Amino acid sequence: MIENIELEKCTGCGICDVVCPADVIHMEPQPVASEIDGLRQVKLLPVIKFREHCITCFSCEIFCPEHIVDVHPSVKNRPRPW
Amino acid sequence: MAMDQLDGNLIDTDVLVVGGGSGGLMAALSAKRHGRPGTRVTLVDSWLIGRTGHTAFSNAWTIVALPGDDIDGILHEIVAGNDGIADQELVRQSLIDSHARLKDFEAMGMHFHRDEEGRYKRRPTRGLDLARVMYPEGGGLEFAWKQRLACEREGVQLIDRLFITGLMRGATGDRIVGAVGINSRTGEFNVIKARSTIVATNAITFRSGFVRDITGTGTLLAYRAGATLRNAEFSYVRPGTPKFYFEGITFAIQEGASWVNAKGEAFMQSYEPEWGDEADVPRIARAMAMENRKGNTPLYLDMSAIPEHLREYFIQSKVRWMDNFFRKLGDEAKTDMFGKTPYYALNQMTKMGIRTGADCRSDVPGLLSAGLAQAGCANHFAGFHIGLCVGNGWIAGRSAVEDLDAAPPPALDQAEVRALHAETRAPLNDQAKAESDRILRDLQAVMFAYDIGILKREDRLQEAAEKVTALSDEFKNIAAPHTHELVRMKETEAMLLAARFILGASLYRTESRLSHFREDHDQRDDANWLVWVDVAQGGNGPAFSKTPIPTPYCSVVLPRRKPSRLAARQSVGGV
Repeated sequence: MIENIELEKCTGCGICDVVCPADVIHMEPQPVASEIDGLRQVKLLPVIKFREHCITCFSCEIFCPEHIVDVHPSVKNRPRPW
Repeated sequence: MAMDQLDGNLIDTDVLVVGGGSGGLMAALSAKRHGRPGTRVTLVDSWLIGRTGHTAFSNAWTIVALPGDDIDGILHEIVAGNDGIADQELVRQSLIDSHARLKDFEAMGMHFHRDEEGRYKRRPTRGLDLARVMYPEGGGLEFAWKQRLACEREGVQLIDRLFITGLMRGATGDRIVGAVGINSRTGEFNVIKARSTIVATNAITFRSGFVRDITGTGTLLAYRAGATLRNAEFSYVRPGTPKFYFEGITFAIQEGASWVNAKGEAFMQSYEPEWGDEADVPRIARAMAMENRKGNTPLYLDMSAIPEHLREYFIQSKVRWMDNFFRKLGDEAKTDMFGKTPYYALNQMTKMGIRTGADCRSDVPGLLSAGLAQAGCANHFAGFHIGLCVGNGWIAGRSAVEDLDAAPPPALDQAEVRALHAETRAPLNDQAKAESDRILRDLQAVMFAYDIGILKREDRLQEAAEKVTALSDEFKNIAAPHTHELVRMKETEAMLLAARFILGASLYRTESRLSHFREDHDQRDDANWLVWVDVAQGGNGPAFSKTPIPTPYCSVVLPRRKPSRLAARQSVGGV
């Protein structure tokens, strides 16, 4: 399951959102420190929106060009026959 | 009312392909290549074509018959190995075409493993003596992506993030004239008008398999549009552990691994004296379920007979996501995988698909099917899932363009489009709580109990069917607060319908065959049941019927023989 994205190193490229097959990561405008006093500045950054639906496919981690996504290899909630 | 206000896009095309795995990708490419110049081909997928879905996360093993291979012998193995449940014509054509497809893949820039002298390296697949699988470098991610790039180069219109919610029958009502769907992120409504529509949305998985984004909804949309479905009583049940994914079980067994129970007994030999651990996957699953009933669980995969250097090979998967997985598990993967972790018989997906002829045309004019959404084979062989998808994708694309000249220009029906729009959006309610996961969990608990999904009996199947009906009733009362949940709700709705067909077909087939094992009818009965079980809409709901399976090329039994050991079956060949 996806654990973390190091947002401070994120360029906002959005690849993690595009390659996610489970709609877990959404790029959303986030407030960041403004270059000019008095102006609000936002940056599109990934938000882990539906973590519980992560399928642990590692795509976000594999394709992140900055290598800042961490997926934990635990697989939860798989149905068992006994 | 706001619901009646249409707002969205209308796309006009000749051939619409729904589903971006290898079945859909090959269907789109085939339609482009077989069509006359200017033929418009549109491929849509609910996420990213070539990066999501079953093919992308597979190791892309594929059965290829090289020149000089015994195609009829391989066909016989596959047919017999599937207990006769195979469309011989379709499987044979897929094998005949497989070498040409291999050359297509190489022209797309894929590399298949070769030895020092440039001959293809090939591996045997479970229990089969003649069939050989080949595997591209980079696994499924590269395999699917290079097909996507080929589609782009050849002018296929690719639309990502389009989740199809209904098929249209148009103004005349006698054929499929395209589909409607929503952008899976924004919910924006889209109508795609098409002269031929190919459904290639894989099989229903109940989010249980190792790739849990596969939900196979297209199959159920086809049913609602009048198509017949087939093979619902069969499922792909394989040994696995809920803790981690291990795709190398076939390899491991070939190298000497064996199944043992809690007492340390290698149990497969007692259930399958001739095949032992190399038995077909459903037979291993059945033996595991019986061991559980005897109180002999937990069950383990004993890999102690496998040399250390080969164990490393299993962990260093050629599939990138699996490689990440094992690398991150670290020592835990090595110690647990090689003996400590309990294994279960896990249900990966149903083998239900759309009934078509060997030409991949369904019973409904204008509707075709490819990939695992097509009911060509209930196979359980490593390498044959993708092999069949490539084969039937190619055939479906060709059939679709052959139909273009004869097909009347599609005429949309305003009322139908409005009704589908309203139906698609009906569950939306921004005040609602997302609740489909709860119903899905309950559904999984019903369908995956070993004494429902693996060891079947009439009374238990009926009881399960009542539970599914109750869950379906409960489902009617839930709503979706956003598009994410709307998509998941549509998928869960399809799974509830699929569960009904699976249980119905399992009750209907009163014999045992392949993965369908009835304790109360525990013998295979070719005299009465060498048939496909079909389900179609009847006057009072789903109606089940039998279709005799034609056997034009080979018998459905194979003289049983002990498989030769792996070393004798490694092979190279071809160019």
